[in-house]
Amino acid sequence: MSDATKDQVIPDARIDDQEEPDHTTPTILSIEDMWVEYKTPHGWLQAVRGATLDIKRGEAVALIGESGSGKSTLGFAILRMLARGARIAKGKAIFTNSRGESYDLVTLPDKNFREFRWSECSMTFQAAQNSLNPVMRVKDTFWETAKAHGKRNHKEIDERTLDLLRKVQLDPRRVFDAYPHELSGGMRQRVSIALSLLLEPDLVILDEPTTALDILTQRAIIDVVKNLREQLDFTLIFISHDLSLAAELADRVATMYGGEIVEYAAVRDTFYRPRHPYTVGLLNAVPPIVGEEFTPLTAIPGSTPNLLDMPSGCPFHPRCPYHTDICIREDPPLMDVGGNHLTACHHHDKVTRDPEIWERMTAEEAVG
Amino acid sequence: MNEPLMSLQNLTRTFDTRGGRIVAVDNVSFDLHKGDILCLVGESGSGKTTVARMAGGMLKPSLGKVLFEGRDINAMGKDDFKSYRQAVQIIHQDPYASLNPVQTIGEIIRAPLLHHKLVKGRREATQRVAELLELVDLSPAENYIGKYPHQLSGGQRQRVSIARAMTLNPRMIIADEAVSMVDVSTRVSLLNTMLKLSNELGVTFMFITHDLSVVKYFGWEGRVGVMYVGKLVERGRTPNLIGRSLHPYTRALAAAIPEADPDLTRSKEKLQLRSLDIPNLNALPSGCVFHPRCPYWVEGLCDVKSPPLVDVGNGREVACHVVVRNIQEGGNGRDLAPTSEELRTSSAAD
Repeated sequence: MSDATKDQVIPDARIDDQEEPDHTTPTILSIEDMWVEYKTPHGWLQAVRGATLDIKRGEAVALIGESGSGKSTLGFAILRMLARGARIAKGKAIFTNSRGESYDLVTLPDKNFREFRWSECSMTFQAAQNSLNPVMRVKDTFWETAKAHGKRNHKEIDERTLDLLRKVQLDPRRVFDAYPHELSGGMRQRVSIALSLLLEPDLVILDEPTTALDILTQRAIIDVVKNLREQLDFTLIFISHDLSLAAELADRVATMYGGEIVEYAAVRDTFYRPRHPYTVGLLNAVPPIVGEEFTPLTAIPGSTPNLLDMPSGCPFHPRCPYHTDICIREDPPLMDVGGNHLTACHHHDKVTRDPEIWERMTAEEAVG
Repeated sequence: MNEPLMSLQNLTRTFDTRGGRIVAVDNVSFDLHKGDILCLVGESGSGKTTVARMAGGMLKPSLGKVLFEGRDINAMGKDDFKSYRQAVQIIHQDPYASLNPVQTIGEIIRAPLLHHKLVKGRREATQRVAELLELVDLSPAENYIGKYPHQLSGGQRQRVSIARAMTLNPRMIIADEAVSMVDVSTRVSLLNTMLKLSNELGVTFMFITHDLSVVKYFGWEGRVGVMYVGKLVERGRTPNLIGRSLHPYTRALAAAIPEADPDLTRSKEKLQLRSLDIPNLNALPSGCVFHPRCPYWVEGLCDVKSPPLVDVGNGREVACHVVVRNIQEGGNGRDLAPTSEELRTSSAAD
């Protein structure tokens, strides 16, 4: 199916499945007007600019964006893992645990935060395959992590470890006593994911879980995460530059651009009824694999913004075929345009996937 | 048939490692005619980059030859080899690592023009630099000439690499993962720029990538070779090969890639492999290198005999005993019986 036919057919055929606002499921994480800055020789660079995001218990949320969009910085900020020279300038991250107690992760004392990490929330990093302690056997890494959180029943921990290794499709006999270097990158990645689930956290954050892995290994990780979500009860945030991963794994997708969340919607709304021109641009640039027909692709003109020299108004306006004067003056807020579909665009009602609108943008625009 | 521009003949390359001798590339052959686009696709350890390095004259084959316009590049005299290296340019994955950070874009492009005496004097050089920048869509050129590499985006830096490769009017470009480090939104326009060089200037492309979706877009008019652990396992025209791949490895790759479409990607037919692990190059399996992972392998055949690349008609070649036998028996090469019950191809039901 070409993009043009998709655009005509899908909104009508699928309009009935628009998501209704969900008032019953409790929110697990509420990020409010978060600003994160990095110190540079040229001054403070604002990597995250007023991100606001509500995540419901049990959802899988994809945080999608290109390099410099602020997606990883936002993840690091929530877990207080920002690099030196970075700071949260403003904002809240309200976490609500399973007992209904809420606290702000930004101001939580260090002692309580250490308890929160791993037992309430864990994070697996990009290239996690290289973050396991190289001189520790897999079983000892699990044991040490459990011990640090007051769990000392060796037998119980070993059983949980073996169970988790099986759940991530690893052969426990091969992995349990192994050192990280004896395992492949994909196996180490799965060990890290299993480790993140050791203390049964309610919230799991995966940063670029499939980046830099071979395709067949990526598929294995995707299937493992899918299975884990079916078997265990946790909320998932995953950070990725790969839209296809969001299509495959997410319930909701937050698209970031220039440090802002520009669209946040149910996965099928994001892909079939995008309401932000940047999301549309990304979708028009991602080639499908299946099918024997050629799919023409459309590039987004220009390049990603320089965070030290952000454009006025809407950060996307210099690359946007829909932009008008108001876009140059005012940065649009993230607003609900119906059906719990949030977008930050002055012209959200005009946005379609029609690639011609983009092709008409002249070559005078700077090239990426 | 006219003579190919480049002909790779039975290229084999071994490396001696601490774990013993490994065969990184095993008996790979193909021809590129003027204006061709040939994509070589494979995962890490497939040998695709080693092929590129041999084709680019940066690495000598252990066995086999690289012929350029009919002449063995490794038997050329110094001057001929030098002109070969001018005719065949290489673009690498990371433009930041290959551009001198203390030179401006103008200086980077001007240097080879002056060095090879392709321009007379500075004025002509400046004019040619501007032409080259416009050619790679860095326009208007005066916005870029005075800038340093760090002042450009990843995509723009890769355009500078392409412009520099074009300074010597190459006949052929070998692009090794040239768009892998570029963001999605700028990747398409970079591919379009390279397609323009192919369409308008007739530049021949050998395009190395791990990404089938990029192959589908860039190589649509051309051919694809799929490599696995040093061997060419399938080859054919792009639409044919991507749409209806034959080799179980190619089919597994195409099935494994997630699509940017929630309904499509969640209902896509998957091909279950027997094992996730790429074999160790130090201890390759007997017979077909793919058989320990292949859902269709036949005991006593696939684990014994290495399959040759066989022409199965329609310009398609595949190195698989099972697929070739199926086609010879009148099948389509895709309706194969899995070796065991639990590996039967299943559509993921989620």
